[in-house]
Amino acid sequence: MATPNFKHALFCAIVTIVIAYPILGLNLVAESTRVIVEGADTTTVISVFAAALVVFLFQLFRDRIMASLGGLPKLNPFADREHMPESKRARLESWVLTGIVVLALFWPFFVSRGSVDLATLVLIYIMLALGLNVVVGLAGLLDLGYVAFYAVGAYTFALLSQYAGVSFWMALPIGACLAALFGLVLGFPVLRLRGDYLAIVTLGFGEIIRILLNNWTALTGGPNGIGGIPDPTLFGMEFGRRVKEEGNTSFHDTFGIAYSSEHKVIFLYLIALILAVITALIIRRFMRMPVGRAWEALREDEIAARSLGLSRTAVKLSAFTIGAFFAGFAGTVFASKQGFISPESFVFLESAIILAIVVLGGMGSQLGVVLAAIAVTILPELAREFSDFRMLVFGAAMVLMMVWRPQGLMPMRRTHIQLRRQE
Amino acid sequence: MKTSVKKIVTAVGASVALMSAGQAAADIKVGIAGPMTGPVAQYGDMQFSGVRMAIDQINKAGGVMGEKLVAVEMDDVCDPKQAVTVANRMVNEGVQYVVGHLCSSSTQPASDIYEDEGILMITPASTSPEVTGRGYELVFRTIGLDSMQGPVAGNYIAAQKPERVAIVHDKQQYGEGIATAVRDTLKDAGVDIAMFEGITAGDKDFSSLVTKIKQANVDYVYYGGYHPELGLILRQARQSDVDAKFMGPEGVGNKDINTIAGEAAEGLLVTLPPSFDQKAENQQLIKAFNEKGEDPSGPFVLTSYAAVQLVADGIEQAQSKDPYDVAKALRSGSFQTPIGTVQYDKAGDMKSFEFVVYEWHSDGSKTPMN
Amino acid sequence: MQDLLYFFQQLINGLTIGSAYALIAIGYTMVYGIIGMINFAHGEVYMIGAYTALIAITGLTAFGIAWLPLVLIVALICAVIVSSSMGWAVERVAYRPVRGRHRLIPLISAIGMSIFLQNYVHLAQGSRNIGFPALMDGGFQFGSADSFQMSLSYMQITIFITTLICMTLLSLFISRSRIGRACRAVSQDLRMANLLGIDTNRIISATFVIGASLAAVAGLLLGMYYGSVDPLFGFIAGLKAFTAAVLGGIGSIPGAMLGGLILGVAESMTSGYLSGEYKDVVSFSLLILILLFKPTGLLGKPEVEKI
Repeated sequence: MATPNFKHALFCAIVTIVIAYPILGLNLVAESTRVIVEGADTTTVISVFAAALVVFLFQLFRDRIMASLGGLPKLNPFADREHMPESKRARLESWVLTGIVVLALFWPFFVSRGSVDLATLVLIYIMLALGLNVVVGLAGLLDLGYVAFYAVGAYTFALLSQYAGVSFWMALPIGACLAALFGLVLGFPVLRLRGDYLAIVTLGFGEIIRILLNNWTALTGGPNGIGGIPDPTLFGMEFGRRVKEEGNTSFHDTFGIAYSSEHKVIFLYLIALILAVITALIIRRFMRMPVGRAWEALREDEIAARSLGLSRTAVKLSAFTIGAFFAGFAGTVFASKQGFISPESFVFLESAIILAIVVLGGMGSQLGVVLAAIAVTILPELAREFSDFRMLVFGAAMVLMMVWRPQGLMPMRRTHIQLRRQE
Repeated sequence: MKTSVKKIVTAVGASVALMSAGQAAADIKVGIAGPMTGPVAQYGDMQFSGVRMAIDQINKAGGVMGEKLVAVEMDDVCDPKQAVTVANRMVNEGVQYVVGHLCSSSTQPASDIYEDEGILMITPASTSPEVTGRGYELVFRTIGLDSMQGPVAGNYIAAQKPERVAIVHDKQQYGEGIATAVRDTLKDAGVDIAMFEGITAGDKDFSSLVTKIKQANVDYVYYGGYHPELGLILRQARQSDVDAKFMGPEGVGNKDINTIAGEAAEGLLVTLPPSFDQKAENQQLIKAFNEKGEDPSGPFVLTSYAAVQLVADGIEQAQSKDPYDVAKALRSGSFQTPIGTVQYDKAGDMKSFEFVVYEWHSDGSKTPMN
Repeated sequence: MQDLLYFFQQLINGLTIGSAYALIAIGYTMVYGIIGMINFAHGEVYMIGAYTALIAITGLTAFGIAWLPLVLIVALICAVIVSSSMGWAVERVAYRPVRGRHRLIPLISAIGMSIFLQNYVHLAQGSRNIGFPALMDGGFQFGSADSFQMSLSYMQITIFITTLICMTLLSLFISRSRIGRACRAVSQDLRMANLLGIDTNRIISATFVIGASLAAVAGLLLGMYYGSVDPLFGFIAGLKAFTAAVLGGIGSIPGAMLGGLILGVAESMTSGYLSGEYKDVVSFSLLILILLFKPTGLLGKPEVEKI
């Protein structure tokens, strides 16, 4: 037992040096017009070898280390929750969600503008992730191009406001419906593809939409994007310092209070909050309706579901369309928050991050999605000080989460009756 | 309701007053927003090194109205979404003057916030006409516009009487903007434009494009974009014996293009702001940069330096720290900076900003053409 | 005549890129064939291969070694060793622990790994584009000197030949060798192969190592052909290669070759006759169209639904 372990450990240590030393230890630098190789400083080299030593020792005593780790109690605050009876668990989850919403309603009045702004972004991601959750978590369709529908929503609002002067409230349903229409039209031909073929095709669609937006300069402004997107109004009251639209009044004049730019930020936040809550409620409703059950049935076993008379196309399409609808929702809010959009905001990485939120949240569980969206948006922001390492840590965290907690933060539990185990 | 009372009390007067009132220390915060990471981080490096030098020197010389300048640096990765987050954080930090952002697509959404919040912004690098084209009061820049640089390049090419010209751009705000300006100038001059085409930024394979250029048999190729792509195009064009002359904007004019294109960079034409680092009156400053081991020749180093200096001079001139007063002072005065005498027009653009055509050499040096 | 030469020139351009795509696509298709996951980090392995090759070339030049074949072989060996170690390590760290989970789990893990590796290289080597020294200049010219001349560079020929050699060796390896046979067995039925005494873990590791080595070869060749490397270029190339693998029928090695060539030619024809802006649109549309009519790709085996 000792010898193969030793060999393996040595091998692992060598691999560590091989993959770390050339990239970290030998730096390509431009010296005037030529490229030369420069050895890194001693600290880097020493740390590479130290890392190799750590790997070596870990692999050598792997069994013992794993055994002692296994003896520790699980570092999981939700672990005991899994033994809770279903009804109690569901009630608890809705209480927690309600609590979060109530807290979120009052919270912006006590914190800084930057935090509220960031929270709005979190809410947009929550909407997106809830929508994608329908497609991926519930219906089991792997969609890597979800950002396309987000872009459709955002651009619909931007274009409508630019060419037709349509306000946020009008554009919100239009943008969402148009995104849903896109989902329907795009979904129709591709939904007969299975699994990973579907993934690459949706990825392709996402890229196509982005490139078209980037190239159709006459309509979308191409890479220049579209600016001057109006902020939402409250019954015809604007939040800007000056009123931009004829016939509107400004919020601070109406109420006779001094202008503060925070009003606008908080108002946007509240809109996003309300929309996110509406999204969550609608999807929750869907999950309990026959169509929601059909999604899950199809995800679990397509053949069995079809033999029970479910129409595969109709069920998949409904999931795809509803998912796209909420992406359009989120897109409209995003356009309004930014005031300016360009195709750069709708790249593949964005799709990947939304998907990561869904998976991290535990595929299907709404509370999980909310927690994951908060984590994924806030963590990189907190790490802005170590800007260089931010994305490195983000990538590593994604891998580690998948390895340590693949079921997500809050795995979804369906209501079911469990027979008492016989032991 | 407690909070709204608090707000009414504090929000008497401009939001600016609110910021400075809450601040005990007698420092003037200058926000610096630009890319520290991401694909264009090297341009960000130029910006930060210019800004740091300026703040250093101004503080050593006694500061502004007796107060020290303090830098608040933030990374926007040149991503519009993060630029908005950064702008809001600048507001949080109580910053009243921002030097940034770098990419036009980041500057634009961020400037909306700054204008709303009464923060004075001077961008040392964004060349898109849109940035100052929206009637904002507090938005300035220390660099010329695409619409200024394009005609310089276009007129130069037209003066050489070429038969056909190809224009290529990288489909980004900066590249396409400037390429369009060049195209319009050439059209007016009656030059035959054989192709006007975009590429994908970040792409590496330009063999098809080069073949197309070769087929079109053009005399000049104008490229709107940055050096990584142009370097490859030059190199691949040389491989297939394209003998057209290439030309690009200041975004291609740095030594990195030589490491990519090698010999093929010889004879490339570049429109650049006049090399401020060659001017006699700047030698003192250049020496300071060299002593710090930094390279002052990048296109955005001295424009960033000038931006900070303008903030300081503007405050001195206005004898007030209110950004609106400073903006007024900037518009009315005339300032001596390393990039020449700066005077602003109503939009916030410099009244004159010169571009010069240089010929680039394979050893990274350049010689003026006119 | 001139138009014909132009067409052939674009065809050559396309085939060159296409064969490189094919080399990268092998990594995707083999991994998918065996454990059914999309290895998103494969593009980064290719990028690391290109970086290692550049480091080796620059290092050798610094020591005054300039004999081209020696430089290339040393660079190739270095790139293959580092990339394949990387492929092995990535599988051990990020994929093996999550194998057998829901198929989204390895996918997210792979995307995370891809982001991690991109930033790892970015931090170590900086974000700027670094140029490859021009080692192999020149080539053959066709057509008269006063009109359009078609050129076939030595570099392009090298890429064709190397790809061809790699593909032949790989096919022989898969069909003849012990490990190759085991690979095929594992891809048909992992559990059954395990029961029959095949060390499946070892075979899966071998797949990653083979895929990564081919990606390293592509990294060296394409780095020299294009002329520069940066930390982000692996991702785009990876996406293209993955598209090629799916186009040809994922899991099939000749399919990867075919898919790569089709994609390369489609791209260069689009840039040549339409506009470079639309080349990605065309390649993705082509993919969608082909999948609509052949849902498992050109050479993929039709999936049999079993109950």
